[in-house]
Amino acid sequence: MLFGATLALEVVAVALSWGLEPAWDSVLNAVYAVTVAGAGALIVSRHPGHRIGWLFIADATFSVLPVDLAQGWGLRGAEQGWPAAPFAEWFALWAWIAGGPAFVLRFLLFPDGHLTRRGWAAVAWANIVGVVLFVPGYALSPDIGDLFVGDRNPYAVDGALTGVLQAVGMPLFLGSVVVAIVPLVQRLRRASGVERLQLRWFVFASVCAAVILPVVALLWSVAPVVRPLSAIALIGMPVGAAIGILRYRLYDIDVVISRTLAYGALSVVLAGTYAVTVVVIGAAVGRGSAWSTAGATLAVAAAFGPLRHRVQDAVDRRFNRARFDALQRMAGFLDDLHSGRAVPEDVEGVYRNALGVEDLHLHLFLPDSDLAVDVAGAPVADDSDDGRRRWPIRHAGASLGTVLAPADLAERGSIVPKVLDAGALAVEIARLRVGLRRQLDEVAASRARIVAAGDDERRRIERDLHDGAQQRLVSIGLALRHAQHALGPSVDPDVTRTLDDAVAEITVAIDELRELARGLRPALLDTGLGPALRDLARRAPLPVEVVANGDRYPTEVETAAYFTACEGLTNAVKHADATKVELRATRERGGLVVAVVDDGIGGAIAREGTGLAGLADRVAARGGTLRIDSGAGRGTTLVAEFPCVS
Amino acid sequence: MRVVIAEDQALLRDGLARLFRDGGHHVVATLGDAERLLATIAQEQPELAVVDIRMPPTFTDEGARAARAIKQQHPGVGVLLLSQHIETAHAVNLVALGGFGYLLKDRVLEVGEFLATAERVAAGGSALDPMVIAHLVAPADSGPVGRLSERERGVLELMAQGLTNAAIANRLVVSERTVEAHVRHILTKLDIIDSEDGHRRVLAVLTYLHGTHT
Repeated sequence: MLFGATLALEVVAVALSWGLEPAWDSVLNAVYAVTVAGAGALIVSRHPGHRIGWLFIADATFSVLPVDLAQGWGLRGAEQGWPAAPFAEWFALWAWIAGGPAFVLRFLLFPDGHLTRRGWAAVAWANIVGVVLFVPGYALSPDIGDLFVGDRNPYAVDGALTGVLQAVGMPLFLGSVVVAIVPLVQRLRRASGVERLQLRWFVFASVCAAVILPVVALLWSVAPVVRPLSAIALIGMPVGAAIGILRYRLYDIDVVISRTLAYGALSVVLAGTYAVTVVVIGAAVGRGSAWSTAGATLAVAAAFGPLRHRVQDAVDRRFNRARFDALQRMAGFLDDLHSGRAVPEDVEGVYRNALGVEDLHLHLFLPDSDLAVDVAGAPVADDSDDGRRRWPIRHAGASLGTVLAPADLAERGSIVPKVLDAGALAVEIARLRVGLRRQLDEVAASRARIVAAGDDERRRIERDLHDGAQQRLVSIGLALRHAQHALGPSVDPDVTRTLDDAVAEITVAIDELRELARGLRPALLDTGLGPALRDLARRAPLPVEVVANGDRYPTEVETAAYFTACEGLTNAVKHADATKVELRATRERGGLVVAVVDDGIGGAIAREGTGLAGLADRVAARGGTLRIDSGAGRGTTLVAEFPCVS
Repeated sequence: MRVVIAEDQALLRDGLARLFRDGGHHVVATLGDAERLLATIAQEQPELAVVDIRMPPTFTDEGARAARAIKQQHPGVGVLLLSQHIETAHAVNLVALGGFGYLLKDRVLEVGEFLATAERVAAGGSALDPMVIAHLVAPADSGPVGRLSERERGVLELMAQGLTNAAIANRLVVSERTVEAHVRHILTKLDIIDSEDGHRRVLAVLTYLHGTHT
């Protein structure tokens, strides 16, 4: 309501003074009043009872608005002969000074409406005393007559008193304004987090005002065109304060500051370039030539692009450290990635580092699948109700993944998507690599499963032979022996011989079955690799030395190791023309190393389809490696290394 | 002789029982697994337990573990472990307990020899399958055993099976004095201290062979 009234009355004030003073003066004064009132109204509507809000409202209602109205009335009244016109004119001249305490209190109370220390209230009181002394001294002084339409202060009081009052009041007034900045600066230094950002908005606006106002004051009479800047500078403060208190786009302050500085510096440099170019070309082709203007414009246009980049970079480096560091870190990582010093999967860590958030997770969408995985390739479930916020990562139109982080990261503003976008290429590479790695893992796992299935099948057949066929043969033999016994000693010798022959046949069959089962998978492996290798050595047609202790390893590793030894031994016997072989099974670095060393002719290679090639597959299926050293004439050394945990 | 039989295959279990009965022995109980074996032995107090090494539930070494438990709780009961394949670790460890035998299953088809071995074990003697011995003695051409002659190796195998000098002489069809000479040579070559006690002699030989091969 108050704001509406202010707006309406300001329209009246503008109408009153229209045409009697520079138009910008009327309008900007009105805009300033509306801004102050608006900022106050906004703050109070969101935070009822917030002192800064009421301060702005009071400032607008009791100082700015009456001054503007009085100014209009005074100007228009002097022309139209309205009553009290000289008084209004006079009032407008000094009443703005009465707004000083409101000005001081802004500094003292921002952003929470409370003093940092009670002692600072003295500054406000000093300002009030200054106002009380300075206002009569100024308002009653005869020296300000030239500011009146009638060139005379109608309320002037002769005598030295006004001079004294001014001499005491003005320093108090101005000094308290300057001192009021001290607690604000202290707050800024001590503040962290949100409060710091709030303060930065206000301080930024205040610094702009502090820079612009003296400049404008200096140029006031030289270049009247800069005068409107003072009103703009003053408007900045309530706006900055309102943004700070309302926390609206709080986190973009860094960008605002950096852009302001960058474009400010850029303007100065370009203006300088323009002036120098005009002078130089002017000296060469004559003053006022169209050539100099065109040349200068060209020079400025050419300088703009690269300069803007450099200036922005320098400004970021100096004033927008967080943003500069974040992008710089990402750029450094991409550089490392390019030169092979970093792996793309590190991008998650770089995101965390650059944005300063530990609780940040990168989920990758695998190509050709709906699966989301982390950078290590483990599938992840995305519980969308966990209160975290999600940022999509896109590259060349494809959705690569999501970054999950606490929702308050969003308040950091545009830096977040900027950094995430900068890493998108690394995310794309990481995604493809993780996908490939998962597929390779899948292939390795399926190979291990196939070999394990084969081993299990051998084991099952071996069991079946031992516990099925062999036992049955023994049972049949026993039945024959029983029959023999039942027939008694007086039986025909032919029958006895037939039965004996049958039993002998059965014994041979059992032996053959036992050998067959052993070839599939020696039951001795159940008691360990050492006994199985010694059995293998005993059956070999050439001297075999076995070096193995009683250590046990996972069953599938022992099986693979046993077949490595079998294959190496077979190779030594069949192809190597060896005279002796050594079989070694030793524990090395927690794993199992099996070596088959012969003194044969060498030259063995693992060709496609040979036993050695199949062996390499079998060893690899257990995560092991197979090495064949078989130079001509040096014998063959076959080494299989298996990693194991037990 | 009172016999308890533990064998999971019904056909074979019946065959074994019939074999012992045919041989004039008394089969007091037959079992399909090792679970109630100890309780049955405690109850029946047999002279011999014939146990299959692989039985339910895992078909690995239930019989061997049951055999060890029997020897610990009933040292007087002879245990004859039957196996489908050669397995040295259990065999050698258990034979050290005495009154223990380890044979491949198909040995039962040589009825006379099998029953003789069973009786020897029931009486507190030891018996290892010749194949197991061969396994321990081989590889023939490496180690100290390689220094033995062919004939000496044969004698060593019979010693390890638990045979006395007289039995070895009988088996090899030589005089007992010849066997004594072989034994002396073998023990000297292998640095084994001789003992008149047949069981301790087996133990010494087995311990020696086992020690050099594991």
